[in-house]
Amino acid sequence: MVSSETEPPPAGPSGKARRRSTAFIAAFVLLQFLIPLTYLAREDAADERFTWRSLSEAAAPSCETSASLERDDGTREAILVEKLIHRDWMTYLAQRRRAVIDALLQKQCEADGVLSVELVNRCADERDVHEFTLRCGGERAHETVRTAAR
Amino acid sequence: MKPVEQYWFGNVALARPYLLLRLVLVLLAFDTWLNMMPEGAKYGVGAFNVAHFPWFDGFVPSSGFYLGVMAFTGVLALSQALYRPHRIAIVLIALGYTLGWSCSLLDSVPYHYLLSLYLLCFVFFPMLSARSAFSRSERVPQGSVAAYVLFCVTTAIVYFYVAAWSAARGESYWLPMTCCVGYLLVSMQDRVQLPAVRILAPMLVAAPLTFHLATPQPGWLPLYMAGIALIVFAPMQWVHSFGRALTQPARGLLDEGEADETGLDERASQVFYLSLFGLVVAPMLSMFVDLPGVKTGCSLTAIAMLVVMGRQLYFTPRWRPLWRVASLFGGCLALLVTMSASNARFDYYREGALDADRRGDQDAATMFQQKAERYAP
Repeated sequence: MVSSETEPPPAGPSGKARRRSTAFIAAFVLLQFLIPLTYLAREDAADERFTWRSLSEAAAPSCETSASLERDDGTREAILVEKLIHRDWMTYLAQRRRAVIDALLQKQCEADGVLSVELVNRCADERDVHEFTLRCGGERAHETVRTAAR
Repeated sequence: MKPVEQYWFGNVALARPYLLLRLVLVLLAFDTWLNMMPEGAKYGVGAFNVAHFPWFDGFVPSSGFYLGVMAFTGVLALSQALYRPHRIAIVLIALGYTLGWSCSLLDSVPYHYLLSLYLLCFVFFPMLSARSAFSRSERVPQGSVAAYVLFCVTTAIVYFYVAAWSAARGESYWLPMTCCVGYLLVSMQDRVQLPAVRILAPMLVAAPLTFHLATPQPGWLPLYMAGIALIVFAPMQWVHSFGRALTQPARGLLDEGEADETGLDERASQVFYLSLFGLVVAPMLSMFVDLPGVKTGCSLTAIAMLVVMGRQLYFTPRWRPLWRVASLFGGCLALLVTMSASNARFDYYREGALDADRRGDQDAATMFQQKAERYAP
């Protein structure tokens, strides 16, 4: 038989350990307060990660996304985006997530002889058409918003 | 102690961190297998990926990589829940789980990020045995567990922001705000002598239960949060009695097994070789799971277990390595049974077939389709 009723509880922290724990706790709690606030400074309003704005994933808007590239010789070619990537990425494109749009356009620029790539997003519930153009070699796509005539 | 220090370092019933750690690890194991692994076919498609953090730039996780990480995390989590957890293992679970969601925006489920925060708190939890968390009498063992209070405060911050953003949108915010206040107060209930607090604090459990069970929420979030709320808010005696009943068989087994063991004897070497044999054999169960990356994931779990056991494998009470190996066996077996008894494997292959077909990749579509037919319910 085991003589003790329970094993002894974990020892309480000493003064030094308590100070170290307090510093860690303060930093951890502060970070948790600050990270959601970064949403207010984000360029991409669709990016709600780590903010607790919603406990669900953002709903996918009903949008039509098309893309094309311009070659060095001036010719334009359509890109069948839905054949290139998983459909979940199409949802991000429809939500105009800049990180995904930039990455996709950058990837198309990796092919030989590509001068620029363009992505156009038309959503059913918006009058605006969003165009993202990346000149190959650039870092970020340039966004243009056009208001479509009804 | 100053009042602030009393808040963080005051006593709590040890039954709470004991049960909380195991509840989250068990749910996390089955959550990764049943909800995350079926999504694995999306990874690596078209060699395109965007990660949550810039340090993954240029890295495209394949479906095998993702499934391997999930299998590793799930098996290790369940094995740690089955037998006394080890801090190194909790660190590895936290790293594996965080790697799983953070390597791609394809997983943007908000509560996965919350679970990573929880796992970080667990790293600093005391690794309690059943005998240290539960007594045989009505006396409830207590101790200072700052990480448990941090866990409650982390949860409170989440509810605070849910309430704040709701208020900013002009929506109702009183329920998440009540949850926030509840979690901030309730970690003190075990040490406050005022009867009013001891009676009122458990009643606050109604707020998180209503918030999570009354409105539709993604995945297993309601399950996690309802379970957590019940352990955190329930009266101390209830949690202790529940935990004591739950761990009764394990405590009895350990008492009998370790009662007359004080050191090494000639059987120690047999146990050592038996443990090593078990570590080699347990991951072999994953061969029957038939998903890419799972064999590697389970083999890595066995290696992680070897690291966790370390010196313990050769020294100190000799049954412990065998219990650890048995828990690894339990984890691998549970993965196999879960995959065989659920639609997770079928969903993985069906989703892969549908997407490959849509992209016009006929070879991949045929391969996925054949597997999906094999595992169709």
